[in-house]
Amino acid sequence: MTPPDAGARQNAAIDGDAAVRFIVNGRPAAVAASPLTRLAQVLRDDLGLTGTKIGCDAGDCGACTVLLDGRQVCACLTPMGQVEGRSVETVEGLRQDGTLSKLQQAFLAHGAAQCGICTPGMLMSASDLLRRTARPSRAEVLDAIGGTLCRCTGYQKIIDAVLAAATSAGVDSPPVGQAVGARAIRVDGIAKVAGTESYGADAIPHDALWLRVVRSPHAHARFALGDLEAVRRAHPGLEQILTARDVPFNGFGIYPDIKDQPVLADGIVRYRGEAVLALVGTREVVMRLADEVLPIVWTMLPPITGVDEARAPGAALVQDDRPGNLLMEGGVRCGDVEAALANAEAVAEIAVETPFVEHAYIEPEAGWARRVGDRLEIHVTTQTPYMDRDEVASVMRLKPQQVRIVPTACGGGFGGKLDLSVQPLVALAAWRLGRPVACIYTRPESMAATTKRHPARIQARFAATVGERLTACDVDAVFDTGAYASWGPTVANRVPVHAMGPYRVPNMRSRGAAYFTHNPPSGAFRGFGVPQAAIAHEAAMDALAEQLGVDRLEFRHRNALRVGDRTATGQVLHHSAGLAACLEALRPRWRDSLRHVAAFNAQARKAATHRRRGIGIGCMWYGIGNTSMSNPSTMRVGLGRDGTLTLYNGAVDIGQGSNTIMIQIAADALGLPMAQFRLVAGDTDRTADAGKTSASRQTFVSGKAAELAGADLRRQILRLANAGTNAALALDAAVLTVSDGETVRRIDLAALAADPDGNVLVGKGTFDPPTTPLDADGQGVPYATYAFAAQTAEVEVDLELGTTKVLRIVAAHDVGRAINPMQVEGQIEGGIAQGLGLALMEEYLPGRTENLHDYLIPTAGDMPLIETILIEDGEPLGPSGAKGVGEPGLVPTAPAILGAIAHATGVRLTRVPVLPHRLRAALQAKPGDRP
Amino acid sequence: MHTFILERPRDLAAALAFHAQAGRNDAPAEYIAGGTDMVQLLQEHVRRPERLVSLAGLLDGHIEAGPQGLRLGAAATMADVAVHPAVVEQFPVISEALLNSASPQVRNQATMGGNLLQRTRCPYFRDVGYAACNKRSPGSGCSAIDGENRWHAVVGTSDDCIAANPSDLAVALVALEAGVELRGAGGQRFVPLIDFHRLPGNTPHIESVLEPGEVIAAITVPASSTARRSHYLKVRDRASFEFAVVSAAVALDMDGGRIRAARVALGGVGTKPWRVPKVEAALAGGSLDPAVLRRAAALAAEGAQGRGHNDFKIELMQRAIVRAIETAGARA
Repeated sequence: MTPPDAGARQNAAIDGDAAVRFIVNGRPAAVAASPLTRLAQVLRDDLGLTGTKIGCDAGDCGACTVLLDGRQVCACLTPMGQVEGRSVETVEGLRQDGTLSKLQQAFLAHGAAQCGICTPGMLMSASDLLRRTARPSRAEVLDAIGGTLCRCTGYQKIIDAVLAAATSAGVDSPPVGQAVGARAIRVDGIAKVAGTESYGADAIPHDALWLRVVRSPHAHARFALGDLEAVRRAHPGLEQILTARDVPFNGFGIYPDIKDQPVLADGIVRYRGEAVLALVGTREVVMRLADEVLPIVWTMLPPITGVDEARAPGAALVQDDRPGNLLMEGGVRCGDVEAALANAEAVAEIAVETPFVEHAYIEPEAGWARRVGDRLEIHVTTQTPYMDRDEVASVMRLKPQQVRIVPTACGGGFGGKLDLSVQPLVALAAWRLGRPVACIYTRPESMAATTKRHPARIQARFAATVGERLTACDVDAVFDTGAYASWGPTVANRVPVHAMGPYRVPNMRSRGAAYFTHNPPSGAFRGFGVPQAAIAHEAAMDALAEQLGVDRLEFRHRNALRVGDRTATGQVLHHSAGLAACLEALRPRWRDSLRHVAAFNAQARKAATHRRRGIGIGCMWYGIGNTSMSNPSTMRVGLGRDGTLTLYNGAVDIGQGSNTIMIQIAADALGLPMAQFRLVAGDTDRTADAGKTSASRQTFVSGKAAELAGADLRRQILRLANAGTNAALALDAAVLTVSDGETVRRIDLAALAADPDGNVLVGKGTFDPPTTPLDADGQGVPYATYAFAAQTAEVEVDLELGTTKVLRIVAAHDVGRAINPMQVEGQIEGGIAQGLGLALMEEYLPGRTENLHDYLIPTAGDMPLIETILIEDGEPLGPSGAKGVGEPGLVPTAPAILGAIAHATGVRLTRVPVLPHRLRAALQAKPGDRP
Repeated sequence: MHTFILERPRDLAAALAFHAQAGRNDAPAEYIAGGTDMVQLLQEHVRRPERLVSLAGLLDGHIEAGPQGLRLGAAATMADVAVHPAVVEQFPVISEALLNSASPQVRNQATMGGNLLQRTRCPYFRDVGYAACNKRSPGSGCSAIDGENRWHAVVGTSDDCIAANPSDLAVALVALEAGVELRGAGGQRFVPLIDFHRLPGNTPHIESVLEPGEVIAAITVPASSTARRSHYLKVRDRASFEFAVVSAAVALDMDGGRIRAARVALGGVGTKPWRVPKVEAALAGGSLDPAVLRRAAALAAEGAQGRGHNDFKIELMQRAIVRAIETAGARA
C-alpha cells in the first residue's frame, strides 16, 4: 500500500544527471542531480544540510520550508530544475559567524521551539515575512506561517517570537537556587533553533542499508507468499526480504502478558497498513521496487469496521483467542446509583461519539540499527527507550542487556511513539546482515500503520439533587481498540476512574471496555481516553446546571473535588486539589464574557446577522502516572574529576521540556547553577530507567528522582567537606568550593578517584509514586496525585454556514508548582491546539486521510488568543510541589468549545469533530427554529 | 516514482512538438510547470507518463492590466498575482481566491496555468491503492459514488465521476467571464474559461479541451462593471491551507441598493468551476433583501444531486451565495 518513496536518490529522469549549479546560504554549490530530484533531498543527502526537515514530503506540512530567491517554498515540492542559478537559504544560513539571528534568539526567549522539528521551517517562513516587513502585524504573521504546521506549541509562542524578533534580546540563565520557577530557556534550545538537532532521520550512517516495509492494502485478508527468492535475485541490491518466519519471537505489545501484534504479519492481516514484508537493500532499490512486483496472493475477508459489529452476537473474531472481541473491561462502583437517580431533582443523559484521531507529529518514525558483536544498538525517535530495549530483546530473543537504545531527538510523540515502529525491523535486519540498517516511515505509512486515539462511544447519566449537589454518575464507555491491544487496557482502566469528572459524586458506576476491530490499533494519545470521557461529563454538567437554573461555572465550583474529599475509588485527597481555585480565578473573566456575549448577540439579532457568540467551560482532573502500577524513575547526577556536572537523564524529552526542568530541579537541589550542567539523555547504556514519557509523569516522577539525586550529591559533597547543610557550593573548573559560614574548603576534584564515567561523586535518586491496586469494585488509590484544570472558550458561530471560530481561551491549571512557567504555558497552549482539533476538525478515516492534507490539524490561523493562569496548590510528594501538565492541557478544551457552541446556538453537539455540515444538521434539527 | 523521460526543450515550439497533454491520465506525455501538484502526482504513482515536458522558462509570466482588463501570463505565480495592485483594486475576487488557496509556500511556486489544470483532491483518485477510479484508470469504476464522498461534487456529476474541481482561482475567473489563450502547434486559440474544463460524462479522464501539444499561454479577464465589487467566500474545515467545502465567487454591478448585474460561480460543489446563470438572471434588477437573495440562490440547486455524505452542500452552497452577495453588496 505504501507507494515506493520518490525520496529515493536518482529517482526519476533518465536523461543523465547533469550538475545543477546554485547558491546555498551564500555559497556556490554544484550537485549532480536530475532536474526532477527534489531540493529537500539534495539539501539533506548531498549537502548534509539536515536542518531542513521532511515531515510529509508532499508540501502539506512546511517542515522543509526554505527560501528560494528570498521567498518561502517547500523544498520537497521544488524540483532541482527550478533551482538552477538561483539562491537557496536554509536554517543553517540564519546563524552568522556562530551568532544566532534575532529571530532565532526570539524563538529561544519565548519558548517557541518545543520538539523543534517544525522550527527550521517555521523560522524560514517567518524570515520571508520579516525581510519584507520588520515589524509585521499579527495577521501578517498568521498568513506567513499559515502553511507551516506545528503540533506542539499551539503557535502562540511562535507568533509572539516573530512579533518580537525586531527587539529580542538574550535571556540570562537563572542564578544558583533560583532555577525552579524561572522562565529558563531550553537547555537543548540552541540546537533546535540552529537546525543542528539530530532527529531520527538526521544521522543515518552513509553505509546503512535501507529497509522498506510492504504493508497490507486490506483491512482483513489472508495472504500467501510466492517465490520471494526469485524477486531478490531479480533485483540486484536487494539483500533480503524479511517475512514472519524470520522473526525469532513474532509478537510485541505494551503489556507483559499481551504480545499480540506481529512484527510481520503471518498469513493474515488485521488492519490496512499492517506490516507484511520488509525489503532490505540499497536505498534506491528498496524504494523503487513496487509492491505489485511482490508475489503476495491476497484473499480478502470481510472486516469488522466498528464496535457495533465487534459486539454483535456471533461476530467473527479479530483475534481467535479473544471471545466477543473483548480486549478488556474495567469499572468503578460505589454507593447506590439507582437510588440516587430515582431521587434526583435533575438527570442529564448524554451520548458521545468520537472518531480516530491521529497524533500527527511532524517527525515520522525513523531510526537505524547496527550490530556490535553480540549486541544491537538502535538509534531511534522514541518516548520510551527502556521499554524499546526490552521489547526488541523479546522479539529478537536476546537478553535486554544485549540491546542498547540511543534515543535521537524526538520530533513529537503525544503517545504515538510509545509503541514499537521501526525498532524491531531494523534490529532484525541489522542482526542478520551485520550492517547498519535504516528505516524512515513515509507520512502515509506513519498515518496508516501506527496507533491512534481510541474512537469512543460513551453513554452517561448524571444526577443532581437539592442544593445543586451531584449525586450519581453512571457511565458506560466503549472503545474501538483496533486490531491489536497496544494501550487499550490502559484506556479501559483509566477512563472509569476519571469518568465522573473532577467532582464529588457519592454514587458512581462506570465501565470502560475496549473491543477489537479491523481498524488501526488504538494506542496511547495524550489523555488515554480521558479527553473523550470529559466531553460526556462536561456536557452533563452544563445540562444539569441548565435544568437547575444555576450558572455553569458556579455549579462546577459547588461540586468540585477539594482537599478532604473522597473520589469514586474511595481515595481521600489529602493535598493539592486546586479545581475550586482554578474556577475562582476564571470567575471574573467568565462573568465579563457572559455580558459581552449577551451584548454581541443582542446586537446581532437586531441587525439580523447570522453570527452568534457563546462561552463554554470545561473542567478536568487527571491522575499523574500509571494507573495502580509501579512506575519508578531513577536519576543520577555525576560530578566529574574534570569538574563537569552531568545529569544522567533517562526521561526522554519529546518536546515538552523535561531535559530543561530536570536540570532546573537538580541544580537547585544540589546548589549549583543550571548553566554548569551537562546532559546525558536517554541512552540505555548510560542512563537509568526513568520510565516512559507518558501519563504526564516525568515532572512528577522523574523530577522527584532528579531532586533526590541532586540532594544526594549535595549530601555527599557536604560530608566530604564536613560542612553544614546551609553551605554554599561553587564549581570552577576542577575545583569545588564549599563555603560554610566563615569556613571555606576547596576540593581538588582531579585528586579524587573516578568511576569509569569519570565521576568522583554520583548522586542517585529514585521515586515511585505510591499507589494501590484497584479491587473488583475499582476501589483503591490508582494515582498518587491529580492535576486539575478549568478552561473557558469563547466562540463565534456562523449559523448559516455552520462554521465556528474560537476567539479566546482562558486556561486555569493547578500544576502544583510550575518548575518552568514558560514551558508549562507551552504545554497548555499546545494541548489546547489538540483539543481544538478534536472538537472542530480532526477525524481519521482509515484509507482516506492518510496524509496531512486530508487529515487536518489546526494551523496558526485556527488558534484563539490563549490566556493561561497557573494555580500552584503544591503537591508534597512532587519536586518543589510540582505535579504534571502534559495531558491536562487538552482535556478541558473540547468540552469548553462544545459548551460555547451550545451557548451560542442552543444545540449541544456530542459528536466530534463539529465540522460545518454537522453543525448545520444539528441546527436544522433544532425544534421550532430554523436559523 | 515511475521512470520517465524528462524533456527540457529550448523554446515553446519545441515543447509543443512533443504533443504532451495536460489533465489526461492516459496521455503518454504531460507538461510540467511550477510542479507543485505534478510532483505529488508522480510521487504517488497517480500519474505515470512516459515523457514529461518541462515548460520552465518557456511561458510568459507577466501580469498586464489595462483598459481592456487583465492579462495573466500562464507562468505568473499565485503569489505575484494575488498582491498585484491592479488585481487587488479592480478584481478583488481574484486576489481573495488566491490568498485563500494553498499555503504561502505553494503560492510562491504554483503558476496560473497549473492552477487551472490541478487535479482533483478526490482521495480515491489520489490513492492508487483503490483500483476503481474512472478518472485515473478509464473504465475502472468510481469508488466515490458509494464511498466517503463528503468532499465530492453535487453538480456537473455523472454516473462515472463525482470528483470536485479543486481550484479557487478558476471559480473567481469564471465569475468574471475570463478566458484562456491556448497555444498549440497549429497556432493560438481563445477559449472562454467556462468552456475550458469538460464535464466528466463518461470520459472523466479528459478534464479540459486542451489538445495534444497545446498549453495555456495566458488568462484574460475582461474589464467589466462588476469586477470591482467582487468577493470570494470560502467555507472550509480549517482556517488556512485547505480546499473549499463550498465556495462562492460573486461580482456585482450596483445601482444604489439595486443589483444591476450579478455574476456568480461556485467552488467545491462542481466537477468543474460552476457558474450559475439562472441565479445571476434572478438577481438582476433585484435588491439585497435577504429573502430575495435566498430565492435567487435557490436556483443554484437545480439539477444538484447529493450522494449521501455531500448532501449538505446543496443547501450550503445557496447560503454561501447569499452571504457572498451580502458582503460584496455592502462594499463601497
